[in-house]
Amino acid sequence: MAEYIIRRTLQMIVVFFIFLVSSYLLFNAIPGNAFSNLLLNPDLPPDAYEKVLATYGLDKPIMERVQLYVVNFFKGDFGYSYKYYPKTPIELIAERLPRTLMLFAIVNIVAFYTGFLVGKVLAWRRGSKSETWITVTSVFSYTVFYPWFALMMLWFFGYKMGWFPIGKFLYPEKWYTAPWDSDVIFVLMIKFTAIISIIQFIAYIMTRGIESLSQRRNLRFASLLTIAVGSYFFWNTGDALTKKPYAADIAYHMILPVIVVTIVAFAGTALLTRTTMVEVIKEDYILTARAKGLSQKRIRDRHAARTALLPVVTSFIFTIVTIIDGSVLTETIFSWPGMGQLLLQSVLEEDIPVAMATFSFVGVFALIAHLVADISYSYLDPRIRIKSQG
Amino acid sequence: MSKEVLVVDGLNMHYETLDGLVQAVKDVSFTLKQGESFGLVGESGCGKTSVAMSLLQLQPDNAKISSGSIKLDGIELVGMTEKELRTVRWDGISIVFQGAMNAWNPVAKIGEQIREAIREHRPDNSKDENTEKITELFNIVGLDSSVMDRYPHELSGGMKQRAMIALALSCDPKVVIADEPTTALDVVIQDQILKELKKVQELLGLSLIYISHDIAVIAEMTNNMAVMYAGSIVELGPTKDVFSKPKHAYTRLLLESTPSVVGEKKKLRSLDGEPPSLIDEKKGCSFSPRCPAPSKECKNQELEMKLIEVVKGHYADQCCVECG
Amino acid sequence: MSNTLKEQEELQKQLRKEAIRKNWKLFSQSKLGMIGLYIVAFFLFLALLQPFLFITGIWNPAIYDPVVGYDKISANLLVIECPKEYPSEKYESYEDCPGPGEVNIKKLYMAPDLEVGDYYDTFIQPAPPSRTHLLGTDSLGRDVFSQIMEGSQVAFVLGLLSATLGVGISTILGTIAAFFGGRVDAYLMRQSDLVLMLPSLPLLFIISAFAELKVWHLAIVLGVLGGLGGSVITIKSQALQVKVKPYVDSARITGGSKWQILFQHILPNVAPLALLFMVFSVTGAIASESVLSFLGLLNIDMSWGIMIYLSQTDGFIFSGLDFWWLILPAGLAVTFLAGGFYLVGRGLDEVFNPRLRKR
Repeated sequence: MAEYIIRRTLQMIVVFFIFLVSSYLLFNAIPGNAFSNLLLNPDLPPDAYEKVLATYGLDKPIMERVQLYVVNFFKGDFGYSYKYYPKTPIELIAERLPRTLMLFAIVNIVAFYTGFLVGKVLAWRRGSKSETWITVTSVFSYTVFYPWFALMMLWFFGYKMGWFPIGKFLYPEKWYTAPWDSDVIFVLMIKFTAIISIIQFIAYIMTRGIESLSQRRNLRFASLLTIAVGSYFFWNTGDALTKKPYAADIAYHMILPVIVVTIVAFAGTALLTRTTMVEVIKEDYILTARAKGLSQKRIRDRHAARTALLPVVTSFIFTIVTIIDGSVLTETIFSWPGMGQLLLQSVLEEDIPVAMATFSFVGVFALIAHLVADISYSYLDPRIRIKSQG
Repeated sequence: MSKEVLVVDGLNMHYETLDGLVQAVKDVSFTLKQGESFGLVGESGCGKTSVAMSLLQLQPDNAKISSGSIKLDGIELVGMTEKELRTVRWDGISIVFQGAMNAWNPVAKIGEQIREAIREHRPDNSKDENTEKITELFNIVGLDSSVMDRYPHELSGGMKQRAMIALALSCDPKVVIADEPTTALDVVIQDQILKELKKVQELLGLSLIYISHDIAVIAEMTNNMAVMYAGSIVELGPTKDVFSKPKHAYTRLLLESTPSVVGEKKKLRSLDGEPPSLIDEKKGCSFSPRCPAPSKECKNQELEMKLIEVVKGHYADQCCVECG
Repeated sequence: MSNTLKEQEELQKQLRKEAIRKNWKLFSQSKLGMIGLYIVAFFLFLALLQPFLFITGIWNPAIYDPVVGYDKISANLLVIECPKEYPSEKYESYEDCPGPGEVNIKKLYMAPDLEVGDYYDTFIQPAPPSRTHLLGTDSLGRDVFSQIMEGSQVAFVLGLLSATLGVGISTILGTIAAFFGGRVDAYLMRQSDLVLMLPSLPLLFIISAFAELKVWHLAIVLGVLGGLGGSVITIKSQALQVKVKPYVDSARITGGSKWQILFQHILPNVAPLALLFMVFSVTGAIASESVLSFLGLLNIDMSWGIMIYLSQTDGFIFSGLDFWWLILPAGLAVTFLAGGFYLVGRGLDEVFNPRLRKR
């Protein structure tokens, strides 16, 4: 196992190096550069363009720049943003990432739970009329033309009904007098969500060993109650109380994007769960479970769904990898200034240092997640043991 | 005279498939007495497992019990709701499946899977009581109690099958069905498991239904037996009598096709042909196409298949009693 | 001798026919698959109907051409003046005035000599659905129904082309990775890691900056990217399962060469999964094209994505359902065709995966 991880890590470093060099070359190969529009400005002195290029080192030959970039990259120097000078790409990412994480963490948790629930019910009712129609609906919600759907929802709920704000992640007028930056609030909200999920997860693990089913249910309910009461106190005391209205503002802006993305994202999980469950249901141990006289619900949840969970979890990890990639469209439509928009804008404006930094961030994230997926799969399923070669 | 635990009467079951109806169980009747061990023998695909599945009503969705009755301790099982059936399963009738390899959930521990069954039927037991019960059962089947904390893939085939027997006994069922419990095991382990099963049966006074294609195993394991062919029972009686004086031509051929270690050397006879397709329903003796010396009744396609008592307690199908 | 050969061929033909019949029967039992097939067939019909209509002259290309067609649709409107207070006799609220067939005098500042009660002839674009234009016209006077048909041609060409290319690449690479293992495998896996690492949408942005992407180019780009990415891993794991099957061993023992085993034994057994993948990747290709068109990055004359793009840039998408024929048909077409292919894939899955079969 250790040998496997080492070898994979070495391979990953090589892959990352190739990734870095090829993306840099790719960005530089795009016609024009971030400062081309200076040429169009007749008020500037004629040598301004050349001077700016020289300042940013863009006048050097491409191979030299690649070398410089890669060397500096591994030294931890990512340069400065061309557009947001003097901010560094790291500063920009640190500002944008919490916003994206907050939105998509909630979406993914909700989508995973609902998707898994719907999927297992669908598989269990296989062949019934309701199953067919729910499956067809999920398929269309999975394949729906996303930007179109998002715009329609935005029009309906934001414009026609006026329930939710149209775009943006906060009301700027509310924040003029705010003592904090929005990032502070985002970080606080992320911490809060993380702690809740961890407590719930621990409660779930702890109660697993309890023999009596009703006791187990009661304890789990109690833990939920504790969380509810706890969060009430958290938001109504001390520091968090003063931050509450701002957090509420952000949360209000989040509702519509969360709903829209969840509708699309849950269907994928639901369909995958259905497929794997349908296969698992054919297994002999489901027959054993039935012969034992267990209730349908118990067989479904404890035997079929538990085994079917494995591929769903793996695919879930892969979904997390594509969060930033997938956020590009969502953030553009909902004018949510997160990582996706940063990625898109930096590519469009040829802000190479920022584009490279976001690309590498996504890349490293993807590489690690793939490795984690492979390893965790072997732990989740006691039958699978990784052999030497990937 | 011990009482009758399980009475099966005129059981018919069919599968609905793409190619039409498959009549898998035709008019099967037998009784199982308290503490008795009953054998069901026949070729692959003759409907043995379908009978077992019908007893627990665990047949797949496309299978239907069209008629007949199954009475457990006088309670009718056919037509019960799913909820009522759940109380009967494992508590009334439990089963040891043929492929123990796949009968365990791969991601749950063995102990947890047994515990789960006990919990379902004895909800008031404490955790310690259950652990004690499982340890006791493991002792009976010759397993160490540490097996409880293992995952199925960590056990050998024989261990899994022993654990399966422990699982089947966990709720003290009235009837245990053993559906080819030794098929996937090697001969040595097979023998151990059989001995274990026999020991357990005698020790606990179990009522056991033993299903196998191996006639030698049936001879070793059972008091009474039935021979199945193409979905119907063609011979039924005390195991000793069926072996010493087989009445049906099929039973005779079956016996002659099995080598015997003791006794005189005989040339083995093989059974030509294949079992008939169960799709098209025909009247008359189902064995007649393969019968080496069909009698008049056997060739008569109008005669209904029906068990008749040949000797007291020993029944055979009327179509082929007189054959070859 | 030749006789028996012929007979053998005949028999093989029959067996193949029988297999197809049986598979079809299985497929037709899958409700989901059949729903998908109907949807795909419907769009295929639309795609083929348009050229037919042009060739037979039922549609005049000058009017109905999805890109350069133009139809003058004039309306005769009554000039009125809106009341100051609501509700009035004629109108419930402010929004109701002017009603259908009417025009507010305030809107007619271009024609000062008209007075209330006059009739005014005007061209209206986009025009609502009528008998001549089943789904109305867009803001340039082009027939929306004809655009939908053109869009489905684009979707089929692009979807099938890129899916075939992608699955072809990933099947070959996946089986090679599984069969040869070792370094070849490690190389190919890391290569697909590399492709998976690149964020797809920004990457397509960059590519579209190099060259003006047409349908063919996009199909090739999507095909290659899809073929090198995650599907190689899935195909490989399937091929690994096939590789250890007894018939592969027996082929090896009887002296089959490596390539022979690869192409005659492993590839055909991976093919069903590959076909399945192909159907699913059609879904992805259609969606990608629509998204790129929607963002205005493609140099395609007409597609469903472009229809949505135009209706968005013209500001109709926020005018709600008043101009529904500009918004709904194209969006629903993308959703349904992609969903249709997905459902067909599900149906095929039940045919090729015996573990999923109901009976």
